[in-house]
Amino acid sequence: MRTRSFVKLVAAVGSGAVLLAGCAGGDSGGSSGDAKVIKIGTLHPLSGANAGDGTQLENGVKLGIKAINDAGGIKALGGAKLELDGGDTKGTPDTGQSEAQRLVGDGVVALVGTYQSAVSANVAAVAERNKVPFVMDISGDDAILSHGYKYSFRMQPQNSRFGTTAAQYVKAISEAANRPVTKVAYLHEATAFGTGVYQAFKAEAQKSGLQMGPEITYDAASVSDLTTQIAQVKASGANVLVVSGYYRDGVLAAKAIQTVKPALDAVVGAADGAFDQPQFPTDAGSASQGYFDVNYHFDDKSADAKAFSALYKSTYKDEARTGAALAYDSVRVIAAALEKAGSTDASKVRDAIAQTSLTPLTLSDGPIKFSDKGENSTSLPVLTQVQNGAPVVVYPQSAAVKSPVYPANPGQ
Amino acid sequence: MTGPTNAGGTVPSKDGTALRGGSRATSRLSLRHSTPLIVTGALLVVLFIAALLRSGSMGITGQALLTGIISGGVYSLLAMGLTLVFGVLDIVNFAHGAFLAVGLYITYEVAHQAGLNPYIALPVAILGLFVLGVLIQLLLLNRTMGGTLERQLLITLGLSLLISNVLLLAFGGDPLSANLKSDPGVHVFGAVANLSRVIALGGALVLAVLVFLLLERTSFGRAIRAVAASRQGAGLVGIDVRLVYAVTFGLGTACAGAAGMLIAPFTTITPTAGDQFNILAFVVVVMGGLGNVMGAVISGVIVGLVEQLGGVAIAGQSPLLGVFILFLLILLIRPQGIFGAASS
Repeated sequence: MRTRSFVKLVAAVGSGAVLLAGCAGGDSGGSSGDAKVIKIGTLHPLSGANAGDGTQLENGVKLGIKAINDAGGIKALGGAKLELDGGDTKGTPDTGQSEAQRLVGDGVVALVGTYQSAVSANVAAVAERNKVPFVMDISGDDAILSHGYKYSFRMQPQNSRFGTTAAQYVKAISEAANRPVTKVAYLHEATAFGTGVYQAFKAEAQKSGLQMGPEITYDAASVSDLTTQIAQVKASGANVLVVSGYYRDGVLAAKAIQTVKPALDAVVGAADGAFDQPQFPTDAGSASQGYFDVNYHFDDKSADAKAFSALYKSTYKDEARTGAALAYDSVRVIAAALEKAGSTDASKVRDAIAQTSLTPLTLSDGPIKFSDKGENSTSLPVLTQVQNGAPVVVYPQSAAVKSPVYPANPGQ
Repeated sequence: MTGPTNAGGTVPSKDGTALRGGSRATSRLSLRHSTPLIVTGALLVVLFIAALLRSGSMGITGQALLTGIISGGVYSLLAMGLTLVFGVLDIVNFAHGAFLAVGLYITYEVAHQAGLNPYIALPVAILGLFVLGVLIQLLLLNRTMGGTLERQLLITLGLSLLISNVLLLAFGGDPLSANLKSDPGVHVFGAVANLSRVIALGGALVLAVLVFLLLERTSFGRAIRAVAASRQGAGLVGIDVRLVYAVTFGLGTACAGAAGMLIAPFTTITPTAGDQFNILAFVVVVMGGLGNVMGAVISGVIVGLVEQLGGVAIAGQSPLLGVFILFLLILLIRPQGIFGAASS
């Protein structure tokens, strides 16, 4: 009796889950039999801890597909329409891998994803094995493209470039303000992301003569207080703090800095997930004032980027983040390749993607151009600073909309 | 169907051992069991000296000490609810972190929709989560009481998924905050902590004392302890076991709700915000002895201290390394926990 009611309960929960899954997959239903439909598979974390960012990326893809279809679809293929085939990675590598396999089985022409490097590493292997092009909107780890993959491409700059440029930018703006860096303390989360950016920063710092202070690490998944770590920064006597972490821990760091008040000229994020986000000043309050971050960013001067932001806001009632633009551009890259190849044959599409030349919505050194390894060689990390409650691009001058305030006296 | 007679009869041996732990649960700490506590205290002193030598600065070590005590207070509050539910109901509650997240969102709603000070949400969170817990116990878990452990474990696991995804549906995945208007630093012997964190520690201590008084000094607390000792015997002397179960589970979730409210002013609020505490809360519960409420309170502070001092002493690693080394040692040498009953 009790067993039976338990079975009933499991059945009820199970059918609920199926219903939910049905809702989530709702976009992908419909005319798969139609020859004039080309499916693009997406792999983003739509549930779990990164669901907020995953949704932004997924929305970017949706807007990209809509823009291509509204402009007449793929003309070289008789006006064929693009269609989204969505997958939820839940933020875990094994789910990402099995979803990638499913989408490949569905006959998608290309994959877009995944926000997390660990997930992308698995998806890239699936893409390579099945010879399906994979365009990474966000995923920074250098190692993903170090295996000589032919079918994977990356839109954002890889992690090591953030570390290197962060060191260059710190040196440049501190010297321009006549306020030399005496010592750099580095706070980073302890996985491949934080460690990778730190090592690139350190290598460049040693080359350019920046004095490195302590390296302080923490566990991003479990940390709930960074006061002790910031006390270590204060005791080290460093006047610049560089941080590489995610959103939640970035807010914790900012609050701890405001409490401990170390004598810093600047806090600079190197690919930090918090300091360049539009909601960071809301969540960290006055503690966010003056924070720098080296990251990819919207091209604020481009009319297309402005139109995209406005469209995103009116469609989803939310501010677009730069990641959404990278996802949008990923779809444009695939669509342009389909147009150029005049075919949905995977190897032809792959070759066409490799020859992409397309002006992105994000700041760059010219049109998107993939290197032999699949890295977007023209992507440009820029320096943002929180000024009057909003992050704005302040360096390099070619991209800047405001000038940097240095020393920024963070947390004072 | 789920009456005490049947339940006790189906799994007598398992019940027997669990209940002995349970009765220990709510009894006062006795000095006879304090040797492991002295050893742990000595370990903390060693860790403190190691941190001092490694950092070469009293400022950093003092800061680690203060931060450890304060974050340990939050662990204590969370673990207290978890261990109470285990000691009395024999349920390993995997939804505890999800209940904490509900507390966070209640605080967010009070702070943003009503525009009030977040601390006004404390009674709302405690009451709301208490009612939620009672309902879940009465409608869902009560049907499975006395059954196998994995049955309830799976239900609570399912509940945690359900709760975090309902929150995702209602609030979206983007981070939210419920900051205080002003959150100045409080200085203690050269170390500093935010006012909100000091309040969280104070709140956790007050609630721990209240739960202790409820269990030890009230007749309903005696009924709870009676059910923990023997549900069959308690039923025979006229205690409404169903009611005790429901109220105890409600108390457990109310602890999670209170913890959620107290940490809301310095936490980024997301549907999965509770998950990061789940593993640590279980570590604290096992260290304190499964079912031992005061053991959980003290273990919470120990874990907080080891995390912070260990993070300074063993630099370049995750601060949790020290916690898990200690946890492994305890599992190997004293599996019943620092304050658990002597092994039979």
